[in-house]
Amino acid sequence: MTFRRALLTAPVVATLLLATPTAALADESVQVKLLELNHSGASGTATLTATDRGDLRISIRSRGLVPNSPHAQHLHGSTAGMDFHCPDMSADRDGNGYVSTEEGMPVYGDIFVSLTTAGDTAKASGLAVDRMPVADASGNLRYDRTIAAADLPPGTVEHLKDLHIVQHGVDADGNGKYDMAGLGESTLAKSAGLTGIPEEATDPALCGMVSGAAAGSVPVGGVATGDGSTRDRAAVWYGTGGLALLAALGIVVVTRRRSYVPSRNQR
Amino acid sequence: MIRARVLAAVLVVAGVAAIAVGHHYRPAAEPPRSMPSSPAVARSAASSAAAASALTRGDLLPTSPPTRVRIPALRVDEAVTGLGQNPDGSMQVPTDAHTVGWYTGAPTPGALGPAVLAGHVNYKGADGTFARLSTLHPGDQVEVTRQDGITAVFTVTDVDRYAKDRFPATAVYGAIDHAGLRLITCGGDFDTRTGHYTDNIVAYAELRSTE
Ligand SMILES: [Cu+2]
Repeated sequence: MTFRRALLTAPVVATLLLATPTAALADESVQVKLLELNHSGASGTATLTATDRGDLRISIRSRGLVPNSPHAQHLHGSTAGMDFHCPDMSADRDGNGYVSTEEGMPVYGDIFVSLTTAGDTAKASGLAVDRMPVADASGNLRYDRTIAAADLPPGTVEHLKDLHIVQHGVDADGNGKYDMAGLGESTLAKSAGLTGIPEEATDPALCGMVSGAAAGSVPVGGVATGDGSTRDRAAVWYGTGGLALLAALGIVVVTRRRSYVPSRNQR
Repeated sequence: MIRARVLAAVLVVAGVAAIAVGHHYRPAAEPPRSMPSSPAVARSAASSAAAASALTRGDLLPTSPPTRVRIPALRVDEAVTGLGQNPDGSMQVPTDAHTVGWYTGAPTPGALGPAVLAGHVNYKGADGTFARLSTLHPGDQVEVTRQDGITAVFTVTDVDRYAKDRFPATAVYGAIDHAGLRLITCGGDFDTRTGHYTDNIVAYAELRSTE
């Protein structure tokens, strides 16, 4: 009866155990390597960490960017399983020597999240240069922001490895700033209703590719996977066996002596 | 007299049997204690110099939580449950000797990065599923079935033993450029004062194929 009950409850227990991972979301940290585009000479790394609450922590460290200038930056791509990647120079369809943001989009996808320093992170803020990070006088850029789960498009965390960070802003004529003299006016900005923005400010300088992943939160110390409860089992069996053999030996010795003593008396 | 001889014979048989049982239960051989040299870090550094077009290496699966783990060399075939962290920040452990835990604070098995599975060496009087983890050899297979129905097949690359107070967090949990797996259990001496083993056994594996 008890056995039967055990058989009946076993699948229930198994179901409960299997149910736990379903609820949990893998909390992980994705490492991104930022590779130069348009011969920008820039480089960088980024880390995208999905927290256990579903928030997204973004950390970017770039160097070699146009100094003292804002750099529009976005997560490009989609969660629809499209195979986007970083473009190479063959994406430069108009042959002006630069892959523009529009020319890059078929390869790295549309703006998915705008990585602004404050306020909303919607696609519509893609060219909000007043809220984009500014490279310092040496061209170094640091960016750290956590975007709350509620502000992320659905599926962002699950598809982190499918998205690409793109940082924009190049200096085509090498004069240390964005101006119309470099590549003319930005067609991207113009199509968004913004006039007077140089193409140099919107052409991509860096595109990120996933290079690795790590645990999102590292547990403290070692893991307590054992209570020692069977560690002495071998010793107990060895000991018992040894005692039994000793006892057998004792019996043999005692009976030998007993049988020896009378025989001597008999003689 | 005959009774005594019979008793002695029975004791010999019982004694030999007990020693045989003890031999069966003997503790699994363990690798020597290593310093946290982080083999994973060395490996990813070596491969990051490779082709710039693909910064990662090997097959990569999308995110999907594990449901079952099979280790043919250890005759292990067990269900997997999720593990978080205790209030003190340490990793939770399974609440029975058999179930294997997947640490939910790290990637899912088969996806890019280190997936972490922990199991007891022994618990509440029973040998745990990972009682003989330390006897795994490089090349041994570990198969993890996921919720999406895909089985990720890993092969063991290293088995190491570390003092818990020098646990190699970077090698186990740090960034790697492939789909990796870490199997963790206890080893080394047992400290009766703290009620814990002094060391952890960590088996490192890499994704080789999918089924
Ligand atoms: Cu962009």
